[in-house]
Parts: sequence; C-alpha cells; structure tokens
Amino acid sequence: MKHKVFKIFGWAAFLMTLFFCLSQTTITAQAKTYQIGTDVTYPPFEFANKQNKYIGIDIDIMNAIAKEEGFKVNIKPVGFNAAVQSVQSGQLDGVIAGMTITPDRKVKFDFGTPYYKTGVVMAVGKNSHIKSFKQLKGKRVALKTGTAAADYANSIKKKYGFKTVTFDDSNNMYEDVTTGNSVACFEDQPVMQYGIKQGLKLKIVTSPANTGWYGFAVKKGQNKTLRLKFNRGLKKIQANGTYDQIVGKYLGNKTNPQVKGKTFTIGTDVTFPPFEFANKHNKYVGIDMDLIRAIANEQGFKVKIKPVGFNAAVQSLESGQIDGVISGMSITNARKAKFDFSKPYFMSGVVMAVAKNSKITSLSQLKGKRVAIKTGTSAADYANSIKKKYGFHTVTFDDSNNMYQDVTTGNSVACFEDHPVMKYAIKQGTKLKIITKPAESAPYGFAVKRGHNQALLAAFNSGLADLKASGTYDNIKAKYLGTNDNDSVAKTAAADDSDSRTFIGLIKQNQGALLSGLKETMWLTIVSIFFATIFGIIVGLLGVVPSKFSNGVSSVLIYLFRGMPLLVLALFIYTGIPSLTGTKIPAFVAGVVTLTFNEGAYIAAFVKGGIEAVDPGQMEAARSLGLPFGKSMRKVILPQGIRIMIPSFINQFIITLKDTSILSIIGLLELTQTGKIIIARNLEGFKVWTIVAAMYLIIITLLTWLSNWVQRRTKV
Amino acid sequence: MSEKLKVTNLVKTFGTNEVLKGINLTVNQNEVVVIIGPSGSGKSTLLRALNRLEEPTSGSIVINNVDIASKGVDIDTVRENIGMVFQHFNLFSNLSVGENIMLAPVELKKETKEQAANQAKQLLKTVGLEEKFDATVQSLSGGQQQRVAIARALAMDPDIMLFDEPTSALDPEMVGDVLAVMKDLAKKGMTMVVVTHEMGFAKEVADRVVFVDNGQILEQGTPEQVFEHPKNSRLQDFLNKILNV
Ligand SMILES: Nc1ncnc2c1ncn2[C@@H]1O[C@H](COP(=O)(O)OP(=O)(O)O)[C@@H](O)[C@H]1O
Ligand SMILES: [Mg+2]
Repeated sequence: MKHKVFKIFGWAAFLMTLFFCLSQTTITAQAKTYQIGTDVTYPPFEFANKQNKYIGIDIDIMNAIAKEEGFKVNIKPVGFNAAVQSVQSGQLDGVIAGMTITPDRKVKFDFGTPYYKTGVVMAVGKNSHIKSFKQLKGKRVALKTGTAAADYANSIKKKYGFKTVTFDDSNNMYEDVTTGNSVACFEDQPVMQYGIKQGLKLKIVTSPANTGWYGFAVKKGQNKTLRLKFNRGLKKIQANGTYDQIVGKYLGNKTNPQVKGKTFTIGTDVTFPPFEFANKHNKYVGIDMDLIRAIANEQGFKVKIKPVGFNAAVQSLESGQIDGVISGMSITNARKAKFDFSKPYFMSGVVMAVAKNSKITSLSQLKGKRVAIKTGTSAADYANSIKKKYGFHTVTFDDSNNMYQDVTTGNSVACFEDHPVMKYAIKQGTKLKIITKPAESAPYGFAVKRGHNQALLAAFNSGLADLKASGTYDNIKAKYLGTNDNDSVAKTAAADDSDSRTFIGLIKQNQGALLSGLKETMWLTIVSIFFATIFGIIVGLLGVVPSKFSNGVSSVLIYLFRGMPLLVLALFIYTGIPSLTGTKIPAFVAGVVTLTFNEGAYIAAFVKGGIEAVDPGQMEAARSLGLPFGKSMRKVILPQGIRIMIPSFINQFIITLKDTSILSIIGLLELTQTGKIIIARNLEGFKVWTIVAAMYLIIITLLTWLSNWVQRRTKV
Repeated sequence: MSEKLKVTNLVKTFGTNEVLKGINLTVNQNEVVVIIGPSGSGKSTLLRALNRLEEPTSGSIVINNVDIASKGVDIDTVRENIGMVFQHFNLFSNLSVGENIMLAPVELKKETKEQAANQAKQLLKTVGLEEKFDATVQSLSGGQQQRVAIARALAMDPDIMLFDEPTSALDPEMVGDVLAVMKDLAKKGMTMVVVTHEMGFAKEVADRVVFVDNGQILEQGTPEQVFEHPKNSRLQDFLNKILNV
C-alpha cells in the first residue's frame, strides 16, 4: 500500500519536473496577464451589454479557456483593425475577434485551433420575394467594410450584376435593407442569425457560402505558450460542454438542457420518398430524416429512427412505444385529439396522377373507374371525400409502390398522392404524370403523444426555427425537391446507375441488407420455434392429462391463439400491451411472443391430437403394470405420439418461417421488410420480390431437407 | 383356503346405464375362476374394475385385505400385484418384445436392466418364444403377441392374473398355444380370473365358473354344476346358444 503511494508521488514529481522543463515560460506566464484585443461590437462574438460589460461568444470562450488553463486575460475592445495592428506591433498578445483564418493572415499570424465555423449568407427584408442571387440584377446591396462577407459579395457582384453600398457597422447595413434602400445584405451566418434572433426584420435566403473558420491569433512566431494554452483549453471546454453552452447562449439553444444527451425513438414510414427512404447504403434519408437529425444535432439530443411504416408508427406513438413520429404526417383535427403537433414544417397538398399515356385529364373522367389509394393517408381521405361526387371506386394499398404499380399496370386508372411524394416518384422514373393542382393543402407536422414528450416537441420547434433562420432548412428541402419547384436536383439520394438494376446488380448492391434481413428472419424463426414448441407441448399435454381443469385451460388457449389472425395478435402484443401496462416491448420480443402463442397453439393442437391418436389400450396396458401416468406418457405414449406428430412439426416450422414475414408490420427488419425498404428506394418491385421469394424458397428447401432427414432417422 | 379377492355390492354405471348391479364375488388363493356370459353383460367392466381401470360407482373390492376402491389407496402399487391380459394384447408398439417385458420392472426400480433382461428371457422361454427377445412387436402373430403380453404381465411377479377374452381375437390355430400357457400358469398355482368363451378350457382348468348376465351374477359353481346341471334358465339359453354354434 505504502509502496503504491510512493510510486504515485514519484511519478507525479517526475511529470511535474518534465513539464516545467518543457515550458520554462510557464512560471512567468502565470504571473502575467495576457492582453487580448477584440472588436468594439461584433455581436454575437463581442459586444457590450447593458451594464457595459463585454460579452459574446469570443469573450466567453476566452474567459472560459483562461479559467481552465489558469491564466488571466485583459480583454481590450479596441476594434478589429486596431486589434490586428496592435498584435502585429506587439502591444497586444493575441486577438479574438471573429477573425477568419485565411492564407493571407497566416503569413503574419499564428492561429490557434479553429473554434467556430462560419459562412457568408445573404439576408433580405422579411417580406422580400428575393430568394437567389439571380434576382439581385441591377439592385443595390449593402455591405460592411473589411468583412469576409463583403469580399464574397464583391467577388460575385459582376456575375449577378448588382451594385454595392458599404457601411462601417452592421446596424447601419441592416437598416439600409429594412428601409428598402438596399434589397439585400451579406453577413457572416452566426452574426446574421443572432441579429434575426434579436428581432431584426430580415430573413436568410441562401445557404452559407465561402465557409471558413474563426481562429484565435497571435503574432507570427510569438506567444507560442499562449496559443498552446488556448488550444488545450478549447479542447477541454469543448469536451466538458462549456463551449456548447456558450454558443447556445447566443445563437439559440444548441444544447437544450431539457433534451440534451437524451435519445428519442422516432417512428417513420418505410416508403415515403422524398420524406423518408433508405438510400443505397440502407441509411434512412429524406426531408424528414435530414430535418429531424439536423434538429437533434442543433438541440443536442439523439434520435433513433424506426422506419416501421406509417400506421405502425402512429400506433406505436399512441401506445407510447416510441417518442415521436415524423412521417410526412398531415396535421388534422382528428389527429390533434391524440397527438400534439409541432409547428408545421412542410406544406403539402394532394394531387392525382395517372399513367403517362392516359387520356384522363380531370376528376370528372373518373366516373365508374377504379382509383388506387394508400391506407391512412390524407390523400386517401381526400379521394374518399370526393369519391361520391365523381363516381369512382377505390382500392387501397399498404404502400406507395404497390399503389403506383396498380396504376401503371392499368388495374386502376389513377391514384392520389401527396404532391412532393408524387413529384419525387415521377423523377425517380415512375411512369405516371400529375394532372391536378395540389388540393387540400395540408401542413406536415412532427407529432408526439398528446401530453407527453413536451420537451421534445419544444426542442423540435425551437430547432426548426433555428434551422429556418440559418438556411439549413432550405438546404434540406432543396436537396430533395430542387431550389425552384421545377428544378430536379433530387437525383442525389436515389439515382442508381442502370447496371445496378439487373438481378445481379440488385443482389450485389443490396447484399448486406438482404443478408441481414435473412438473418433476422432466421433468428425470429429459430427463437420462435423454440419457444412455440415448448409452449405447444405444455399446452398440448395439459389437454390430455386426467384433469378437467387442465383440459379446459388447454382448450381455451388453443382456441384463443389459433383463432386470432397473426397480424392482429402481433399488433395487439406490440401496441396493445404497452397501452395497457405502460411498459415498452422491443419489436423482436413482441414478434417472438406473437409467434410463440400463435404457432404454439397449432403445435398444441397437433400434440394433443397426436397423443389422442395413440391407441388407448397402450395407456391401459402401461397403467395396468403399475406404471404411473407420467411414466406411461413418457415411455409409451409420447414416443408413439411424436412419430405421429413429426410431419405436423415440419409443416409448422415451415409455416413459422413464412409467418415471420407478417411481423414486418411491427417494423422488424426481417427479409420481407428489407424487401419493402429496398423497393421503396429503387422501385424495382418485381425484381426485388423475385429475389426475396427465391431466398425464402431456398431456406424452406433446406429446412425441408433437414426435416426429411430427421424424419427418416426417427422412423423405425 | 384364504380369501384373495372379495367383491362386495359392486355397482358401476356409465351415465344412466347401470352396467354392474351389485356384484358379490369371492376368489380364493390359487383359485381359477372363469366368468362367462353374453356379450354386453358387464364381464369386461367387472374385470377392469378389479384393477380400477374402471372406477367403481359404489361397493368395495378388497384384494389382499386392502379395499382398492377407496380413495386413499395407491393404485399403482396395487396394480403391480395384478397382472392384466387384454383381448387385443396391447403390446407397446414402440418397444421390442424384450423391452415390453422389461419396461415395468426397470422403470419401477424392481430390477436392474440386466436382471430384467434375464427374467424376460426366462419368461419368454416359459411361453415358448425365447428366440423373439429382440423382435419387433409388429413381426409377431396374434398368438405370439398374446403370449408376450402374458409374459409382460408376469414380469412384475403378480399374485393375481386377470384375463379378458385372451383368445377371442386370435385365429383358431393360435388359440391352443395361448391356452396352454394359461393352463401351465394355473397348474403352478396362480390365482386367475378369466373371462372366456373357451368351454373346454373352463371345464379343464376352472375351479369355479361364474355366469354373469345383465350386470348380475346369476349362477356360479364348479364347471360340472354349471355346464352339466344349469339351474338358471338364462344360463341354459346361453349354453344352448354357444354349444350349438
Ligand atoms: N366406457 C364406457 N362408457 C359407456 N358405456 C360402457 C363403457 N364400457 C362399457 N360400457 C357398456 O357397459 C356394458 C357392458 O360392457 P362390457 O363390460 O364390455 O360387456 P362384456 O365385456 O360383457 O361384453 C355395455 O352395454 C357397454 O356398452
Ligand atoms: Mg368384454
């Protein structure tokens, strides 16, 4: 014990000596107060508050680092240019002033680790219709002298043909835009974002350009210690959350303390491009996905995306299995009764689409025709609401692809779908065309269970506002739908090259997903068969023991679980039980429980039947010898009964394997669900289902061979 | 002569159907009792009640001074002492001939596997089937199966043997072998209750013949009394019928 203590002291002493030797200046530096220059006013990085105390991201970071590293700073708001010059002349030790790291500046300064990422954005008046640089032609644009934003504006001035007017400070520049003298201004993104948060009547309309990093600077070759301390301190405050707190304080709650660090399970649809779909790498992308991830990132929480399908997601939310749903979900009054919605994040509307070569051009031509809709969508509601008026009848599908297919094959003459979804699908090659204007325009919202997860809802709203202000929101939308509604930029996510559309190509490309789906299917099957067999044998035996009560229990269990459709049982266990008990059930467990009960009931029935099929004289003979019931059962009846049951067991195993596909309803990523997801992305329904079917057949063939082998071996 | 088995006022009903209507019957040590009577008269039910394959509705069945009809009795132990031979043999079809005979002694820990195997071979010899130890049940003829069934019952070393029409499911040429085994048993002093229509066997082996009709014992006596001088008219009818066949 003593030795250990000495050892530790020894090491500590050694390290301290080493440390002192390496940085001789440390001792003197500690006594010293560093003089740090900064701008006069560059909110949110540095500005005087009401008490005339300097605050801001730069100031707070500098102070936090000084505290962390044990040195003192004297911050001098001398103005950007003066600060830079004073460092050059050696009057100040360093400068922190929202100073972008540029090659030019690197010649004269040594920069610390970049501490903030920034970019130039364009802002316009709140009511302005200007959305892009193109619209600036011949117009006047306000700039602030000597800023990176001004440099950027000047660099594109010629190309877009606008004039500039320069101001010495930001407020005057903003004023020039709000009064309408200028149509736009260019500013660093965080500065602009902060200004808008403070009530400026401007909006950001472009995504950050010319992105760069802010850095802390010292004179080239000087003050190395200070620079290293800054780097070390920055690392510490970034690690311990101080950094996030500081940035959040000025730019919106990046780390929302209500949700920070928490993980929320978010349900979504399997197939709803461009809002949610799996990309080539089987990662879920789309407007909803990017949005919720960006908000989570901004607010400091984590999300676990569960693409369980729209209906399952909504039901799981209702039963409390998941925390939220973002799934192109229209905000309706009916839904408001059960869910609390965020501020709308997208405006949609319902359109009608027909086959590319269809002659139908209006609703009135639908009379007597068949129209395809997707269950539970607002497009379906809309179609149903006008069904009578236009005299068509409807057929419903569970996912979009099947619905489109029904129209392209000519089974139905038209389908109804949300506008962005339809547009996206057509871009992806679905042979349909939109022939109506968006009707019933409805806002999409993020939903939580009514009265629950209010912190998450608030975080979503606040994050959404921040993303809108920062332009991230528009970027996301543009990524999938194009900047202009006519642009087709949406090739990014789903465009597969044509060689990956052959069978071989599809198999190669989706190998990983298919195999992991197969693995899940096999696991489900094996685990379920195991438990179902145990359950089935127990219940079956209860049915033949000489006890009226046990026989009754057995009959009731068999009746109940054999009588209930597997789908209903799965949904009941997965969404119903949690509603009753308030405890969540993992989907896999719910799946296994479902199959255990359902397949187990069938097994129980044939176990009972198999035993009853054994000649009763066998039992009488065994009992007559003095063998007790249990022994007679084990040694005489069961061996004969099992031989009768084996074909039924094999049959049941195969049925169980196939029945796992039904569990895709509760979002289990087994083979069928995997197929659905792949098709959602590439719309190659026929080929992918062929591959999936072949995989099932291969497994079932193997299982049959195995069973036959077992059967041969047990035959006498 | 000591009393081995005493049935008093035995009544058995199936639902509303009274099948045994108050049977009184005593069987003495080493006695061979043959029960005869028309089909459906309750002979099997009576025999099955004797080892409680049928639960008596009322009355008592005392075997070795124990009332086996009473609730508290451990019926499995009682059955170890009562051998039962069925009309349809009921050999365990999942087991070999040897295993059929060995099952109960081994399972009930009366004997080790080896002892049981030796005993089984011994018993097979006495029923004339020593070469069939490893044979499957399915490969045997009816007569052979019934002899194995008798050997199986004897393996538990019972002191009473019950036979329910042991030869009536057999082809005529097989009957002799089975009856020979039974005669042999009787000679050795086994207490036996036999339901049969083999009048030759009854005359030769039985100490007493009991006539059951409609759930009642109508007459009993030595074979000579019953067969040569039947008093009851229904017995006379019955004998006329079977002897004229
Ligand atoms: N398990 C049973 N349930 C109902 N009735 C039965 C049952 N066993 C026998 N019986 C009836 O009892 C009567 C006597 O049958 P049984 O003892 O087999 O006659 P035997 O052996 O003399 O031909 C018959 O009428 C028969 O139908
Ligand atoms: Mg009978």
